[in-house]
Amino acid sequence: MNDQNDQNGKLNHADVQGNILRGYRRQRVRYLMLKVAGATAARRWLTASLTGADGVPQITTESEKRWGSKPETCFNIGLTYEGLRALGTPAASLADFPTEFIEGMTKRAAKLGDVGPSGPENWEKPFDKPAQIHLIASIYAGDCKKPDAAGEIAQLDAVQRAVVDGKWGMSLLGTRDGWCFNKDYVHFNYADNISQPKFEEIHTTDDYGDYPDGDSQPMAPLGTVLLGYETNFEGLKWRVPRPPQLGYNGSFNAFRVLEQDVVCFEEYLTTAADYLLHDPKANLLLPPGTESNIGEGLSRRDALREVVAANMCGRWRNGVPLALSPDTPSPSKPVSKTNFDYDGDSRCPYGAHIRRCNPRGAQIVQRVANHSRRLVRRGMPYGPAYVYDPAKPRDPNEPKRGLLGNFIGANLGAQFEAMSCDWLNLGLQDPRVTGSNDPLLGANDPVTSWFDLPLPGGDKIRLRKLPRFVTTKGGAYTFLPSISAIGYLGSLSG
Amino acid sequence: MSRNGTSGGTSSATSDKSLRDRFVAWLKMFFAAKILVPFWALLTPVKKLEGGPRPSVQPGDNVQRMMNLIMPLKDKSAIGRAKAALAIAQNKDEIYAGLDNVGTVHFARFVIVDDNICMFSVYDGDFTNYIRDFIVTIGSVFDAVVELVEGGEKVIPSAENVEKFIDWVHDHDAYQVSDVATDILRDQEQANGDAGPGGNDDLRLLPRSLILQLNVNTNVSLGSGYRAYPGYSAAQVRQQFGVGW
Repeated sequence: MNDQNDQNGKLNHADVQGNILRGYRRQRVRYLMLKVAGATAARRWLTASLTGADGVPQITTESEKRWGSKPETCFNIGLTYEGLRALGTPAASLADFPTEFIEGMTKRAAKLGDVGPSGPENWEKPFDKPAQIHLIASIYAGDCKKPDAAGEIAQLDAVQRAVVDGKWGMSLLGTRDGWCFNKDYVHFNYADNISQPKFEEIHTTDDYGDYPDGDSQPMAPLGTVLLGYETNFEGLKWRVPRPPQLGYNGSFNAFRVLEQDVVCFEEYLTTAADYLLHDPKANLLLPPGTESNIGEGLSRRDALREVVAANMCGRWRNGVPLALSPDTPSPSKPVSKTNFDYDGDSRCPYGAHIRRCNPRGAQIVQRVANHSRRLVRRGMPYGPAYVYDPAKPRDPNEPKRGLLGNFIGANLGAQFEAMSCDWLNLGLQDPRVTGSNDPLLGANDPVTSWFDLPLPGGDKIRLRKLPRFVTTKGGAYTFLPSISAIGYLGSLSG
Repeated sequence: MSRNGTSGGTSSATSDKSLRDRFVAWLKMFFAAKILVPFWALLTPVKKLEGGPRPSVQPGDNVQRMMNLIMPLKDKSAIGRAKAALAIAQNKDEIYAGLDNVGTVHFARFVIVDDNICMFSVYDGDFTNYIRDFIVTIGSVFDAVVELVEGGEKVIPSAENVEKFIDWVHDHDAYQVSDVATDILRDQEQANGDAGPGGNDDLRLLPRSLILQLNVNTNVSLGSGYRAYPGYSAAQVRQQFGVGW
């Protein structure tokens, strides 16, 4: 127990940054990549950020009840290892941080599939100089229900100016803006942000409402995402960097700039559909005459495109899981988007994106890992929406699009890296997918890539030549300090 | 007589020569091993290269990976070795059950070599996941062995020192000298944080690099080993044999 928890050892919500245990559901986000140019001024800035003094934006915290009146903007920070060093964190404390965090995301590239075009040597500014990135601040503005681009951008600009005010010892290396172009839909045109780890300390109280029909997955222990609590592994705790006020209630984040080649993705769906049109087994996948189950008025080819898209993800584009509705995105009796599992007969492909990254209760090779590698994901798309139009030729100046993703957990090695390396890109969890990549996110190489579409009755159709749809363009491992930790870092000297 | 004399003379000359040769050879070896190598090492200090398989994104390289743990026993006597043997023997069933649950292990065996307890295994996927899952499954058994090893007391109980424990095990995993001779130069550059373009090698210096590495890294694995069949995961093999995975 420590003084950041109350006397019963329960979570003190106000000690945790506000974007970890639940999302803000804002319309727009801006990330500021910052370098600590002057440690003394930067530490004063940290101290001021606790209260919002001197015009410094105030850190948004968690609270037992979500705020009654939403703040205009939300503001949070993450620190890289170099950032902790630059602020003067004592060597003994630095040594308590885990190896993967100390090494940083670029050193772990091979594990994360960041090779070739995704390799750190090809990353965009400012991620091409990872040691310079000390702090990543995130500013959230707007309301998904009432988007107002100009107003939101003005708010982001105002907060940014307050951070990069010359007197605070922070120099701005670069920014990235994300926005919700269509509510919860992201590029590739899937509904996202459906299933997240839920915590008893948060979700039994007020907003379990996201999950009207529950979730087959057990509640996540707090140690899934915060340091200092029980983890999914009985009796096992992650190391908490000392002193306690630095480590407890902190978390780790894998921030990723993931470029999505939407045109390439839609083209691949067409290629796959054309292939299926000539494969007699595809009649099992989509019995002729049932195309309207996929969408009103769809041609067989277009219906097959949607079937392929749904299989690759594990959900239809509207979010309906294949595990509960393998034949149509609009079942006559509505199904839950969250309350499902993968039993032996499930028609969700073993290699589908959502099943690979979170196998729920399915049989997997690593028997202790079913729920232990879960991640909190907070992401927002960047770039303009893409409207698929087969009649339109590929625009050589197609704007860049993708996702600004935060993959948050208490242990990067046991969660983000374990998932990325063994599951996303090797498929070790199930011998039937081993040697293949995640069809959507994986480091696909068209020469070797494959993906199996399961058919009723147990047979399958193998798709090949999947290209890489998602390319890493930047990122960093950050530590998301607790409020106490921000105070502690602000009080350092030297 | 003269034949005998000649013969005798030749014989004695040969023996003199061979003695001299042997002395010169010994002197060379002594000079090389005791003077030249330490001098080189002083002049061009090299870092001990990291153990374990080299990072790769090829699926075939990420299954059937070797772990060669060489852990010096605290008690370097027959009694110490017997204690280690006993720690393994007493926990054999648990160890095997644990390996089953980890699910990614092909083979694992314990060997005592001189005063080291060694664990050699072939596993699939990421090393840290392998060790972490092993800790979760049968950490206490691991602790019983590690307790007997030099420095082991600092990382047990493993369940409370997961990160430290994994790093410690990694430190005891032998460096795997690549099948490609010049890879040792690349590894060295990487260990030194040298990000510049490699490949401009003076190949005549390769033996020196190897000697200097073996000077700081006394136990290494040579090459990536022989495989009778291509890279399949343990679960794939089990599935093919119908023995459950």
